[in-house]
Amino acid sequence: MIGDALYATAVQIRHNVLLRLRDPAQIISYIFLPMALMLVFEPLYQRALDGGTLQTVTGPLILFSVFALGVVGNSVLTEREWRTWDRLRASRAPRTSLLIGKAVPVFTVLLVQQTALLVFGCAVIGLPVPRDLLHVALAVLLWGFAVLAAGTALATVVRSRGDLMLATDLGAILIGSLGGALVPVDLMPGWLQHAAPASPGYWGLALMQNAVQGDLRGMLVPALVVAGIGLALAGLATYRLSRGWGRSDLL
Amino acid sequence: MNELVEAAAPPGANGGVPSDQGTHATLTAMDYGDPRESGDDIVLAAVDLRKRYGDVQALDGFCLTVAAGEVVGLVGHNGAGKTTFLEMVASLIRPDSGRITIDGADPMQSRGLVGICPQHIALYPSATVREHLQLFGGVNGLRRRALRREIDELAVGLRLTEIMARRVGVLSGGQQRRTQAAVALIHRPRLMLLDEPTAGADPETRQAVLDVVKGRAAEGGSVIYTTHYLPELTELQATIAVARRGRVIARGTGAKLLEQLPGQVRVRFGNDEVRMSAMDTTGALVTLLSSATAAVTEIEIRKPSLDDLYRSLAVSDDR
Ligand SMILES: Nc1ncnc2c1ncn2[C@@H]1O[C@H](COP(=O)(O)OP(=O)(O)OP(=O)(O)O)[C@@H](O)[C@H]1O
Ligand SMILES: [Mg+2]
Repeated sequence: MIGDALYATAVQIRHNVLLRLRDPAQIISYIFLPMALMLVFEPLYQRALDGGTLQTVTGPLILFSVFALGVVGNSVLTEREWRTWDRLRASRAPRTSLLIGKAVPVFTVLLVQQTALLVFGCAVIGLPVPRDLLHVALAVLLWGFAVLAAGTALATVVRSRGDLMLATDLGAILIGSLGGALVPVDLMPGWLQHAAPASPGYWGLALMQNAVQGDLRGMLVPALVVAGIGLALAGLATYRLSRGWGRSDLL
Repeated sequence: MNELVEAAAPPGANGGVPSDQGTHATLTAMDYGDPRESGDDIVLAAVDLRKRYGDVQALDGFCLTVAAGEVVGLVGHNGAGKTTFLEMVASLIRPDSGRITIDGADPMQSRGLVGICPQHIALYPSATVREHLQLFGGVNGLRRRALRREIDELAVGLRLTEIMARRVGVLSGGQQRRTQAAVALIHRPRLMLLDEPTAGADPETRQAVLDVVKGRAAEGGSVIYTTHYLPELTELQATIAVARRGRVIARGTGAKLLEQLPGQVRVRFGNDEVRMSAMDTTGALVTLLSSATAAVTEIEIRKPSLDDLYRSLAVSDDR
Protein backbone atom coordinates (compact mmCIF):
# COMPACT_ATOMS: atom_id res chain seq x y z
CA MET A 1 0.00 0.00 0.00
CA ILE A 2 2.69 2.47 1.14
CA GLY A 3 4.92 1.17 -1.64
CA ASP A 4 2.17 1.94 -4.16
CA ALA A 5 1.68 5.44 -2.78
CA LEU A 6 5.42 6.14 -2.91
CA TYR A 7 5.62 4.81 -6.43
CA ALA A 8 2.71 7.02 -7.55
CA THR A 9 4.42 9.99 -5.90
CA ALA A 10 7.68 9.24 -7.69
CA VAL A 11 5.93 8.93 -11.05
CA GLN A 12 4.17 12.23 -10.49
CA ILE A 13 7.41 13.93 -9.44
CA ARG A 14 9.21 12.73 -12.54
CA HIS A 15 6.41 13.97 -14.76
CA ASN A 16 6.35 17.39 -13.11
CA VAL A 17 10.11 17.76 -13.35
CA LEU A 18 9.76 17.14 -17.08
CA LEU A 19 7.07 19.77 -17.39
CA ARG A 20 9.09 22.34 -15.41
CA LEU A 21 12.22 21.70 -17.47
CA ARG A 22 10.29 22.26 -20.68
CA ASP A 23 9.00 25.65 -19.57
CA PRO A 24 11.91 27.21 -17.68
CA ALA A 25 11.86 30.86 -18.85
CA GLN A 26 9.97 32.29 -15.90
CA ILE A 27 12.14 30.81 -13.19
CA ILE A 28 15.37 31.64 -15.01
CA SER A 29 14.35 35.27 -15.18
CA TYR A 30 13.42 35.22 -11.49
CA ILE A 31 16.95 34.06 -10.69
CA PHE A 32 18.88 36.45 -12.92
CA LEU A 33 16.78 39.60 -12.52
CA PRO A 34 17.34 39.86 -8.75
CA MET A 35 21.06 39.30 -9.31
CA ALA A 36 21.09 42.29 -11.63
CA LEU A 37 19.06 44.24 -9.11
CA MET A 38 21.58 43.44 -6.38
CA LEU A 39 24.42 44.80 -8.52
CA VAL A 40 22.49 47.97 -9.27
CA PHE A 41 21.36 48.70 -5.71
CA GLU A 42 24.52 47.69 -3.89
CA PRO A 43 26.17 51.16 -3.89
CA LEU A 44 22.92 52.79 -2.78
CA TYR A 45 22.37 50.45 0.17
CA GLN A 46 26.05 50.64 1.13
CA ARG A 47 25.75 54.40 1.48
CA ALA A 48 22.34 54.48 3.15
CA LEU A 49 22.79 51.69 5.71
CA ASP A 50 25.43 50.08 7.75
CA GLY A 51 25.30 46.38 6.97
CA GLY A 52 24.16 47.38 3.49
CA THR A 53 25.12 44.11 1.84
CA LEU A 54 22.61 42.22 3.98
CA GLN A 55 19.76 44.37 2.64
CA THR A 56 21.23 44.28 -0.88
CA VAL A 57 21.02 40.49 -0.96
CA THR A 58 17.98 39.62 1.15
CA GLY A 59 15.72 42.39 -0.23
CA PRO A 60 15.67 41.19 -3.86
CA LEU A 61 15.68 37.58 -2.62
CA ILE A 62 12.42 38.10 -0.76
CA LEU A 63 10.90 40.25 -3.51
CA PHE A 64 11.63 37.74 -6.26
CA SER A 65 10.70 34.72 -4.25
CA VAL A 66 7.26 36.33 -3.94
CA PHE A 67 7.27 36.83 -7.71
CA ALA A 68 7.93 33.08 -7.90
CA LEU A 69 4.35 32.64 -6.64
CA GLY A 70 3.68 32.87 -10.35
CA VAL A 71 5.83 29.81 -11.08
CA VAL A 72 4.01 27.79 -8.45
CA GLY A 73 0.64 29.16 -9.48
CA ASN A 74 1.22 28.40 -13.14
CA SER A 75 2.14 24.81 -12.46
CA VAL A 76 -1.23 24.29 -10.80
CA LEU A 77 -3.28 26.52 -13.07
CA THR A 78 -2.11 24.73 -16.21
CA GLU A 79 -3.43 21.46 -14.76
CA ARG A 80 -6.78 23.17 -14.37
CA GLU A 81 -6.66 24.61 -17.88
CA TRP A 82 -5.62 21.34 -19.45
CA ARG A 83 -8.20 19.44 -17.32
CA THR A 84 -5.43 17.01 -16.40
CA TRP A 85 -5.83 17.43 -12.66
CA ASP A 86 -9.21 15.73 -12.83
CA ARG A 87 -7.67 12.85 -14.72
CA LEU A 88 -5.13 12.44 -11.98
CA ARG A 89 -7.83 12.69 -9.32
CA ALA A 90 -9.72 9.91 -11.05
CA SER A 91 -6.68 7.65 -10.84
CA ARG A 92 -5.97 5.11 -8.15
CA ALA A 93 -3.18 7.21 -6.62
CA PRO A 94 -3.94 8.60 -3.15
CA ARG A 95 -4.60 12.34 -3.27
CA THR A 96 -1.62 12.97 -0.97
CA SER A 97 0.66 11.25 -3.50
CA LEU A 98 -0.61 13.56 -6.20
CA LEU A 99 -0.19 16.64 -4.03
CA ILE A 100 3.31 15.75 -2.92
CA GLY A 101 4.31 14.77 -6.43
CA LYS A 102 3.06 18.11 -7.69
CA ALA A 103 4.68 20.11 -4.90
CA VAL A 104 8.17 18.63 -4.72
CA PRO A 105 9.46 19.87 -8.11
CA VAL A 106 8.24 23.46 -7.68
CA PHE A 107 9.45 23.46 -4.09
CA THR A 108 12.87 22.45 -5.38
CA VAL A 109 12.72 25.29 -7.87
CA LEU A 110 12.04 27.75 -5.04
CA LEU A 111 14.92 26.38 -2.97
CA VAL A 112 17.26 26.56 -5.96
CA GLN A 113 16.24 30.16 -6.56
CA GLN A 114 16.91 31.28 -3.00
CA THR A 115 20.14 29.31 -2.72
CA ALA A 116 21.43 30.71 -5.99
CA LEU A 117 20.70 34.26 -4.81
CA LEU A 118 22.43 33.71 -1.46
CA VAL A 119 25.47 32.19 -3.13
CA PHE A 120 25.59 35.08 -5.58
CA GLY A 121 25.27 37.48 -2.65
CA CYS A 122 28.26 35.98 -0.88
CA ALA A 123 30.41 35.48 -3.96
CA VAL A 124 29.73 38.72 -5.80
CA ILE A 125 28.07 41.27 -3.54
CA GLY A 126 30.31 40.59 -0.59
CA LEU A 127 27.84 39.28 1.95
CA PRO A 128 29.84 37.55 4.67
CA VAL A 129 29.37 33.80 4.44
CA PRO A 130 26.91 32.89 7.23
CA ARG A 131 28.53 31.05 10.10
CA ASP A 132 25.59 28.79 10.70
CA LEU A 133 24.42 27.34 7.40
CA LEU A 134 21.85 25.13 9.10
CA HIS A 135 19.87 28.16 10.20
CA VAL A 136 20.01 29.61 6.73
CA ALA A 137 18.80 26.32 5.33
CA LEU A 138 15.92 26.33 7.82
CA ALA A 139 14.97 29.87 6.82
CA VAL A 140 15.09 28.98 3.12
CA LEU A 141 12.96 25.87 3.71
CA LEU A 142 10.36 27.71 5.75
CA TRP A 143 10.08 30.68 3.43
CA GLY A 144 10.03 28.34 0.42
CA PHE A 145 7.21 26.36 2.01
CA ALA A 146 5.17 29.52 2.63
CA VAL A 147 5.65 30.64 -0.98
CA LEU A 148 4.74 27.16 -2.23
CA ALA A 149 1.57 27.09 -0.15
CA ALA A 150 0.58 30.62 -1.13
CA GLY A 151 1.17 30.06 -4.84
CA THR A 152 -0.77 26.81 -4.83
CA ALA A 153 -3.65 28.27 -2.83
CA LEU A 154 -3.76 31.24 -5.17
CA ALA A 155 -3.96 29.02 -8.26
CA THR A 156 -6.89 27.14 -6.76
CA VAL A 157 -9.00 30.25 -6.20
CA VAL A 158 -8.28 32.47 -9.21
CA ARG A 159 -10.63 32.23 -12.16
CA SER A 160 -8.15 32.90 -14.96
CA ARG A 161 -4.52 33.33 -15.91
CA GLY A 162 -5.09 37.09 -15.89
CA ASP A 163 -6.25 36.86 -12.28
CA LEU A 164 -3.16 34.89 -11.35
CA MET A 165 -0.78 37.36 -13.00
CA LEU A 166 -2.49 40.29 -11.37
CA ALA A 167 -2.37 38.62 -7.97
CA THR A 168 1.31 37.67 -8.16
CA ASP A 169 2.54 40.98 -9.64
CA LEU A 170 0.52 43.10 -7.28
CA GLY A 171 1.23 40.75 -4.38
CA ALA A 172 4.98 40.79 -4.96
CA ILE A 173 5.15 44.58 -5.17
CA LEU A 174 2.87 45.13 -2.17
CA ILE A 175 4.21 42.35 0.04
CA GLY A 176 7.80 43.08 -0.97
CA SER A 177 7.77 46.84 -0.60
CA LEU A 178 5.62 46.95 2.53
CA GLY A 179 7.76 44.22 4.05
CA GLY A 180 10.94 46.23 3.51
CA ALA A 181 12.41 44.33 0.57
CA LEU A 182 12.91 47.48 -1.50
CA VAL A 183 13.27 50.26 1.06
CA PRO A 184 14.34 49.04 4.51
CA VAL A 185 11.55 49.39 7.06
CA ASP A 186 13.67 51.76 9.17
CA LEU A 187 13.74 54.27 6.34
CA MET A 188 10.01 54.15 5.61
CA PRO A 189 7.59 56.89 6.72
CA GLY A 190 6.45 56.33 10.30
CA TRP A 191 2.90 55.22 9.51
CA LEU A 192 4.18 52.67 7.01
CA GLN A 193 6.62 51.28 9.56
CA HIS A 194 3.59 50.46 11.73
CA ALA A 195 1.87 48.70 8.87
CA ALA A 196 4.92 46.70 7.77
CA PRO A 197 4.32 43.65 10.04
CA ALA A 198 1.02 43.09 8.24
CA SER A 199 3.05 41.94 5.23
CA PRO A 200 4.30 38.34 5.15
CA GLY A 201 7.34 39.76 3.36
CA TYR A 202 8.30 41.58 6.56
CA TRP A 203 8.51 38.27 8.42
CA GLY A 204 10.23 36.53 5.56
CA LEU A 205 12.85 39.24 5.43
CA ALA A 206 13.35 39.20 9.20
CA LEU A 207 13.67 35.42 9.13
CA MET A 208 16.24 35.49 6.35
CA GLN A 209 18.28 38.38 7.76
CA ASN A 210 18.44 36.90 11.26
CA ALA A 211 19.38 33.52 9.82
CA VAL A 212 22.18 34.99 7.71
CA GLN A 213 23.45 36.88 10.77
CA GLY A 214 23.24 33.74 12.90
CA ASP A 215 20.74 35.31 15.33
CA LEU A 216 18.83 32.22 16.40
CA ARG A 217 16.62 34.01 18.93
CA GLY A 218 15.73 36.69 16.43
CA MET A 219 14.60 33.94 14.03
CA LEU A 220 12.06 32.42 16.37
CA VAL A 221 9.07 34.74 15.99
CA PRO A 222 9.50 35.30 12.22
CA ALA A 223 9.88 31.53 11.78
CA LEU A 224 6.64 30.87 13.65
CA VAL A 225 4.74 33.52 11.70
CA VAL A 226 6.05 32.27 8.34
CA ALA A 227 5.30 28.64 9.25
CA GLY A 228 1.81 29.64 10.41
CA ILE A 229 1.06 31.45 7.15
CA GLY A 230 2.43 28.49 5.20
CA LEU A 231 0.36 25.93 7.09
CA ALA A 232 -2.88 27.90 6.81
CA LEU A 233 -2.47 28.38 3.07
CA ALA A 234 -1.33 24.79 2.58
CA GLY A 235 -4.56 23.68 4.28
CA LEU A 236 -6.64 25.76 1.88
CA ALA A 237 -4.66 24.55 -1.13
CA THR A 238 -4.92 20.89 -0.14
CA TYR A 239 -8.66 21.16 0.41
CA ARG A 240 -9.26 22.81 -2.96
CA LEU A 241 -6.96 20.49 -4.88
CA SER A 242 -8.50 17.34 -3.44
CA ARG A 243 -12.00 18.49 -4.32
CA GLY A 244 -11.23 19.67 -7.84
CA TRP A 245 -13.18 22.44 -9.54
CA GLY A 246 -15.67 21.06 -12.00
CA ARG A 247 -16.50 23.30 -14.90
CA SER A 248 -15.57 26.94 -14.95
CA ASP A 249 -16.78 29.88 -16.99
CA LEU A 250 -13.28 31.35 -17.23
CA LEU A 251 -9.68 30.01 -17.36
CA MET B 1 -35.96 -7.20 -13.54
CA ASN B 2 -33.07 -6.27 -11.37
CA GLU B 3 -33.80 -5.28 -7.80
CA LEU B 4 -31.85 -2.08 -7.90
CA VAL B 5 -33.72 -0.94 -10.92
CA GLU B 6 -37.07 -1.70 -9.41
CA ALA B 7 -36.09 0.46 -6.48
CA ALA B 8 -35.66 3.36 -8.84
CA ALA B 9 -38.69 5.51 -9.42
CA PRO B 10 -40.14 4.95 -12.86
CA PRO B 11 -40.20 8.05 -15.03
CA GLY B 12 -42.93 10.36 -13.90
CA ALA B 13 -43.44 8.76 -10.53
CA ASN B 14 -42.22 11.66 -8.47
CA GLY B 15 -43.55 14.71 -10.15
CA GLY B 16 -40.30 15.67 -11.88
CA VAL B 17 -41.59 14.79 -15.32
CA PRO B 18 -41.20 17.39 -18.03
CA SER B 19 -44.44 19.00 -19.14
CA ASP B 20 -44.04 17.72 -22.68
CA GLN B 21 -44.46 14.19 -21.47
CA GLY B 22 -47.33 13.63 -23.88
CA THR B 23 -45.15 13.96 -26.94
CA HIS B 24 -42.93 11.23 -25.56
CA ALA B 25 -45.63 8.77 -24.71
CA THR B 26 -43.93 6.00 -26.66
CA LEU B 27 -40.70 6.37 -24.77
CA THR B 28 -41.96 7.02 -21.29
CA ALA B 29 -44.24 4.03 -21.57
CA MET B 30 -41.35 1.84 -22.64
CA ASP B 31 -39.97 -0.95 -20.64
CA TYR B 32 -36.90 0.74 -19.28
CA GLY B 33 -35.85 -2.28 -17.28
CA ASP B 34 -32.43 -3.80 -17.44
CA PRO B 35 -31.61 -6.08 -20.30
CA ARG B 36 -29.55 -8.44 -18.17
CA GLU B 37 -30.25 -11.76 -16.61
CA SER B 38 -30.81 -11.67 -12.86
CA GLY B 39 -27.70 -13.76 -12.18
CA ASP B 40 -25.40 -11.27 -13.92
CA ASP B 41 -22.40 -9.93 -12.13
CA ILE B 42 -23.17 -6.26 -11.45
CA VAL B 43 -20.19 -3.94 -11.75
CA LEU B 44 -21.90 -0.57 -11.46
CA ALA B 45 -25.11 0.29 -9.65
CA ALA B 46 -26.22 3.91 -9.60
CA VAL B 47 -29.44 4.66 -7.80
CA ASP B 48 -31.49 7.85 -7.83
CA LEU B 49 -28.65 10.29 -8.38
CA ARG B 50 -29.42 13.97 -8.11
CA LYS B 51 -27.24 16.96 -8.79
CA ARG B 52 -28.21 20.57 -9.01
CA TYR B 53 -26.24 23.52 -10.38
CA GLY B 54 -28.09 26.73 -9.59
CA ASP B 55 -31.31 26.56 -11.60
CA VAL B 56 -30.24 23.48 -13.54
CA GLN B 57 -31.13 20.04 -12.26
CA ALA B 58 -28.31 18.26 -14.08
CA LEU B 59 -29.25 14.84 -12.69
CA ASP B 60 -32.76 14.18 -11.52
CA GLY B 61 -33.13 10.64 -10.27
CA PHE B 62 -30.58 9.02 -12.57
CA CYS B 63 -30.45 5.20 -12.26
CA LEU B 64 -28.29 2.74 -14.15
CA THR B 65 -26.79 -0.68 -13.56
CA VAL B 66 -24.06 -2.22 -15.67
CA ALA B 67 -22.98 -5.87 -15.71
CA ALA B 68 -19.55 -7.34 -16.23
CA GLY B 69 -18.67 -7.44 -19.91
CA GLU B 70 -21.61 -5.24 -20.84
CA VAL B 71 -21.28 -2.28 -23.16
CA VAL B 72 -23.92 0.33 -22.43
CA GLY B 73 -24.56 3.02 -25.00
CA LEU B 74 -25.62 6.07 -23.04
CA VAL B 75 -27.43 8.35 -25.42
CA GLY B 76 -29.44 11.51 -25.07
CA HIS B 77 -29.54 15.08 -26.26
CA ASN B 78 -26.97 17.70 -25.38
CA GLY B 79 -27.40 18.63 -21.75
CA ALA B 80 -29.22 15.42 -20.78
CA GLY B 81 -26.71 14.79 -17.98
CA LYS B 82 -24.50 12.09 -19.49
CA THR B 83 -21.17 13.72 -18.71
CA THR B 84 -22.31 14.74 -15.23
CA PHE B 85 -23.19 11.11 -14.54
CA LEU B 86 -19.85 9.79 -15.80
CA GLU B 87 -17.93 12.36 -13.73
CA MET B 88 -19.83 11.15 -10.70
CA VAL B 89 -18.96 7.52 -11.35
CA ALA B 90 -15.31 8.55 -11.68
CA SER B 91 -15.67 10.25 -8.27
CA LEU B 92 -14.80 13.66 -9.71
CA ILE B 93 -18.02 15.19 -8.45
CA ARG B 94 -20.35 14.15 -5.70
CA PRO B 95 -24.08 13.67 -6.03
CA ASP B 96 -26.38 15.84 -3.90
CA SER B 97 -28.15 12.58 -3.12
CA GLY B 98 -28.34 9.02 -4.38
CA ARG B 99 -25.83 6.23 -4.29
CA ILE B 100 -23.21 4.71 -6.56
CA THR B 101 -21.47 1.41 -5.95
CA ILE B 102 -18.72 -0.03 -8.09
CA ASP B 103 -18.11 -3.69 -7.40
CA GLY B 104 -20.06 -3.14 -4.22
CA ALA B 105 -17.81 -0.33 -2.96
CA ASP B 106 -17.88 3.44 -2.90
CA PRO B 107 -16.51 5.10 -6.09
CA MET B 108 -13.78 6.84 -4.08
CA GLN B 109 -12.50 3.42 -3.00
CA SER B 110 -12.86 1.92 -6.47
CA ARG B 111 -11.00 4.53 -8.48
CA GLY B 112 -8.44 2.02 -9.68
CA LEU B 113 -11.20 -0.05 -11.29
CA VAL B 114 -12.44 2.85 -13.37
CA GLY B 115 -10.93 4.52 -16.42
CA ILE B 116 -12.49 7.70 -17.72
CA CYS B 117 -12.02 9.14 -21.18
CA PRO B 118 -13.36 12.66 -20.74
CA GLN B 119 -15.45 14.36 -23.39
CA HIS B 120 -12.94 17.20 -23.76
CA ILE B 121 -9.26 16.59 -24.42
CA ALA B 122 -7.45 16.42 -21.08
CA LEU B 123 -3.75 16.00 -21.89
CA TYR B 124 -0.45 17.81 -21.30
CA PRO B 125 0.47 19.66 -24.51
CA SER B 126 4.18 19.61 -23.66
CA ALA B 127 4.39 15.89 -22.87
CA THR B 128 4.74 13.12 -25.42
CA VAL B 129 2.24 10.34 -25.99
CA ARG B 130 4.57 7.85 -24.30
CA GLU B 131 5.05 10.12 -21.30
CA HIS B 132 1.28 10.30 -20.90
CA LEU B 133 0.96 6.55 -20.86
CA GLN B 134 3.84 6.23 -18.42
CA LEU B 135 2.34 8.84 -16.10
CA PHE B 136 -1.20 7.49 -16.05
CA GLY B 137 -0.08 3.87 -16.04
CA GLY B 138 2.27 4.71 -13.19
CA VAL B 139 -0.17 6.58 -10.98
CA ASN B 140 -2.54 3.66 -11.46
CA GLY B 141 0.07 1.26 -10.15
CA LEU B 142 1.54 -0.27 -13.32
CA ARG B 143 5.27 -0.88 -13.16
CA ARG B 144 8.06 -1.67 -15.58
CA ARG B 145 7.26 -4.79 -17.59
CA ALA B 146 3.53 -4.66 -17.07
CA LEU B 147 3.50 -0.98 -18.00
CA ARG B 148 5.56 -1.58 -21.12
CA ARG B 149 3.30 -4.42 -22.16
CA GLU B 150 0.16 -2.32 -21.83
CA ILE B 151 1.76 0.61 -23.65
CA ASP B 152 2.84 -1.63 -26.52
CA GLU B 153 -0.57 -3.22 -26.82
CA LEU B 154 -2.45 0.08 -26.86
CA ALA B 155 0.08 1.62 -29.22
CA VAL B 156 -0.76 -1.05 -31.76
CA GLY B 157 -4.51 -1.12 -31.08
CA LEU B 158 -4.95 2.63 -31.20
CA ARG B 159 -2.34 3.21 -33.90
CA LEU B 160 -0.06 5.31 -31.77
CA THR B 161 3.22 3.63 -32.65
CA GLU B 162 4.29 6.33 -35.09
CA ILE B 163 3.48 9.23 -32.80
CA MET B 164 4.69 7.81 -29.49
CA ALA B 165 7.57 10.28 -29.18
CA ARG B 166 5.64 13.36 -30.31
CA ARG B 167 4.33 16.00 -27.95
CA VAL B 168 0.57 16.04 -27.70
CA GLY B 169 0.24 19.77 -28.37
CA VAL B 170 1.33 19.30 -31.99
CA LEU B 171 -0.83 16.25 -32.74
CA SER B 172 -3.91 16.35 -34.94
CA GLY B 173 -7.36 16.20 -33.38
CA GLY B 174 -7.81 12.53 -34.17
CA GLN B 175 -4.36 11.64 -32.86
CA GLN B 176 -5.17 13.45 -29.64
CA ARG B 177 -8.46 11.52 -29.44
CA ARG B 178 -6.59 8.22 -29.71
CA THR B 179 -4.11 9.31 -27.04
CA GLN B 180 -6.98 10.42 -24.83
CA ALA B 181 -8.59 6.99 -25.16
CA ALA B 182 -5.29 5.20 -24.53
CA VAL B 183 -4.79 7.11 -21.29
CA ALA B 184 -8.21 5.94 -20.11
CA LEU B 185 -7.48 2.30 -20.88
CA ILE B 186 -3.81 1.98 -19.94
CA HIS B 187 -4.43 0.33 -16.57
CA ARG B 188 -6.99 -2.10 -17.97
CA PRO B 189 -9.89 -0.72 -15.92
CA ARG B 190 -12.79 -2.97 -15.12
CA LEU B 191 -15.25 -0.19 -15.84
CA MET B 192 -14.51 2.09 -18.79
CA LEU B 193 -16.30 5.42 -19.03
CA LEU B 194 -15.92 6.68 -22.57
CA ASP B 195 -17.51 10.08 -23.10
CA GLU B 196 -17.81 10.67 -26.84
CA PRO B 197 -14.39 9.14 -27.45
CA THR B 198 -14.75 9.42 -31.21
CA ALA B 199 -16.00 13.01 -31.44
CA GLY B 200 -14.36 14.60 -34.47
CA ALA B 201 -12.54 11.41 -35.38
CA ASP B 202 -12.15 10.10 -38.93
CA PRO B 203 -13.48 6.62 -39.82
CA GLU B 204 -10.09 5.02 -39.22
CA THR B 205 -9.66 6.49 -35.74
CA ARG B 206 -13.26 5.63 -34.98
CA GLN B 207 -12.73 2.03 -36.01
CA ALA B 208 -9.52 1.74 -34.00
CA VAL B 209 -11.29 2.96 -30.86
CA LEU B 210 -14.28 0.69 -31.44
CA ASP B 211 -12.06 -2.35 -32.00
CA VAL B 212 -10.13 -1.76 -28.79
CA VAL B 213 -13.34 -1.23 -26.82
CA LYS B 214 -14.85 -4.41 -28.26
CA GLY B 215 -11.71 -6.29 -27.30
CA ARG B 216 -11.81 -5.02 -23.74
CA ALA B 217 -15.49 -5.90 -23.40
CA ALA B 218 -14.82 -9.39 -24.74
CA GLU B 219 -12.29 -9.82 -21.93
CA GLY B 220 -15.01 -9.03 -19.39
CA GLY B 221 -14.57 -5.27 -19.05
CA SER B 222 -17.69 -3.13 -18.72
CA VAL B 223 -18.16 0.01 -20.76
CA ILE B 224 -20.38 3.04 -20.66
CA TYR B 225 -20.08 4.67 -24.04
CA THR B 226 -21.70 7.96 -24.90
CA THR B 227 -22.01 9.02 -28.49
CA HIS B 228 -24.22 10.98 -30.81
CA TYR B 229 -23.26 8.69 -33.68
CA LEU B 230 -25.52 5.72 -33.16
CA PRO B 231 -24.16 3.17 -35.65
CA GLU B 232 -21.22 2.86 -33.26
CA LEU B 233 -23.53 1.32 -30.69
CA THR B 234 -24.75 -1.25 -33.16
CA GLU B 235 -21.17 -2.17 -33.91
CA LEU B 236 -20.39 -2.46 -30.20
CA GLN B 237 -23.51 -4.60 -29.69
CA ALA B 238 -24.30 -2.24 -26.87
CA THR B 239 -27.39 -2.24 -24.74
CA ILE B 240 -28.94 1.20 -24.67
CA ALA B 241 -29.74 3.69 -21.94
CA VAL B 242 -31.55 6.80 -23.06
CA ALA B 243 -31.01 9.82 -20.82
CA ARG B 244 -33.32 12.76 -20.81
CA ARG B 245 -33.35 15.70 -18.46
CA GLY B 246 -31.14 14.08 -15.90
CA ARG B 247 -32.60 10.58 -15.79
CA VAL B 248 -32.65 7.36 -17.73
CA ILE B 249 -36.02 7.13 -19.43
CA ALA B 250 -35.46 4.02 -21.49
CA ARG B 251 -33.17 1.06 -21.00
CA GLY B 252 -32.82 -2.20 -22.85
CA THR B 253 -31.28 -3.93 -25.79
CA GLY B 254 -31.49 -1.97 -29.00
CA ALA B 255 -33.89 -4.53 -30.47
CA LYS B 256 -36.19 -4.33 -27.50
CA LEU B 257 -36.32 -0.53 -27.50
CA LEU B 258 -36.90 -0.42 -31.23
CA GLU B 259 -39.80 -2.88 -30.99
CA GLN B 260 -41.78 -0.05 -29.48
CA LEU B 261 -41.16 2.38 -32.29
CA PRO B 262 -43.13 2.51 -35.55
CA GLY B 263 -41.57 1.44 -38.84
CA GLN B 264 -41.71 3.48 -42.03
CA VAL B 265 -43.51 2.48 -45.21
CA ARG B 266 -43.02 4.32 -48.47
CA VAL B 267 -44.84 3.62 -51.73
CA ARG B 268 -44.21 5.36 -55.03
CA PHE B 269 -46.72 5.32 -57.88
CA GLY B 270 -46.56 7.46 -61.01
CA ASN B 271 -45.20 10.81 -59.91
CA ASP B 272 -46.58 10.47 -56.41
CA GLU B 273 -45.08 9.13 -53.25
CA VAL B 274 -46.86 8.36 -49.97
CA ARG B 275 -45.30 7.55 -46.62
CA MET B 276 -46.73 6.22 -43.42
CA SER B 277 -45.24 5.34 -40.09
CA ALA B 278 -46.94 2.55 -38.18
CA MET B 279 -46.31 -0.22 -35.68
CA ASP B 280 -47.98 -2.63 -38.08
CA THR B 281 -46.01 -2.01 -41.27
CA THR B 282 -47.83 -4.75 -43.19
CA GLY B 283 -51.18 -3.16 -42.46
CA ALA B 284 -49.78 0.23 -43.42
CA LEU B 285 -48.46 -1.16 -46.70
CA VAL B 286 -51.86 -2.60 -47.55
CA THR B 287 -53.49 0.74 -46.82
CA LEU B 288 -51.01 2.64 -48.95
CA LEU B 289 -51.23 0.16 -51.84
CA SER B 290 -54.99 0.37 -51.86
CA SER B 291 -54.75 4.13 -52.17
CA ALA B 292 -52.42 3.95 -55.18
CA THR B 293 -53.90 5.63 -58.24
CA ALA B 294 -51.25 4.47 -60.71
CA ALA B 295 -48.88 1.56 -61.18
CA VAL B 296 -46.67 1.09 -58.12
CA THR B 297 -42.96 1.57 -59.00
CA GLU B 298 -41.27 1.37 -55.64
CA ILE B 299 -41.98 0.02 -52.18
CA GLU B 300 -39.79 0.55 -49.14
CA ILE B 301 -40.38 -0.82 -45.67
CA ARG B 302 -37.89 0.42 -43.11
CA LYS B 303 -37.56 -0.95 -39.63
CA PRO B 304 -37.02 1.63 -36.90
CA SER B 305 -33.36 2.46 -36.29
CA LEU B 306 -31.54 3.88 -33.31
CA ASP B 307 -31.64 7.19 -35.12
CA ASP B 308 -35.42 7.03 -35.01
CA LEU B 309 -35.23 6.33 -31.31
CA TYR B 310 -33.06 9.37 -30.91
CA ARG B 311 -35.34 11.54 -33.01
CA SER B 312 -38.34 10.47 -30.99
CA LEU B 313 -36.71 12.41 -28.15
CA ALA B 314 -37.09 15.46 -30.37
CA VAL B 315 -37.22 18.18 -27.74
CA SER B 316 -33.87 19.73 -26.81
CA ASP B 317 -32.47 19.17 -23.36
CA ASP B 318 -30.81 22.57 -23.06
CA ARG B 319 -31.58 23.88 -19.66
N1 LIG C 1 -20.44 22.76 -13.10
C1 LIG C 1 -21.59 23.09 -13.69
N2 LIG C 1 -22.14 24.29 -13.48
C2 LIG C 1 -23.30 24.62 -14.05
N3 LIG C 1 -24.03 23.81 -14.84
C3 LIG C 1 -23.54 22.60 -15.08
C4 LIG C 1 -22.31 22.16 -14.52
N4 LIG C 1 -22.09 20.90 -14.92
C5 LIG C 1 -23.13 20.56 -15.69
N5 LIG C 1 -24.02 21.58 -15.80
C6 LIG C 1 -25.29 21.56 -16.55
O1 LIG C 1 -25.87 20.30 -16.39
C7 LIG C 1 -26.54 19.89 -17.58
C8 LIG C 1 -26.06 18.53 -17.99
O2 LIG C 1 -24.75 18.65 -18.53
P1 LIG C 1 -23.93 17.42 -19.11
O3 LIG C 1 -22.61 17.93 -19.52
O4 LIG C 1 -23.97 16.32 -18.14
O5 LIG C 1 -24.75 17.03 -20.40
P2 LIG C 1 -24.43 15.93 -21.52
O6 LIG C 1 -25.57 15.00 -21.55
O7 LIG C 1 -23.08 15.39 -21.30
O8 LIG C 1 -24.45 16.82 -22.84
P3 LIG C 1 -23.58 16.72 -24.19
O9 LIG C 1 -24.22 15.68 -25.05
O10 LIG C 1 -23.74 18.06 -24.79
O11 LIG C 1 -22.18 16.43 -23.81
C9 LIG C 1 -26.29 20.98 -18.60
O12 LIG C 1 -27.42 21.83 -18.65
C10 LIG C 1 -25.10 21.73 -18.04
O13 LIG C 1 -25.11 23.08 -18.41
MG1 LIG D 1 -21.36 15.41 -22.37
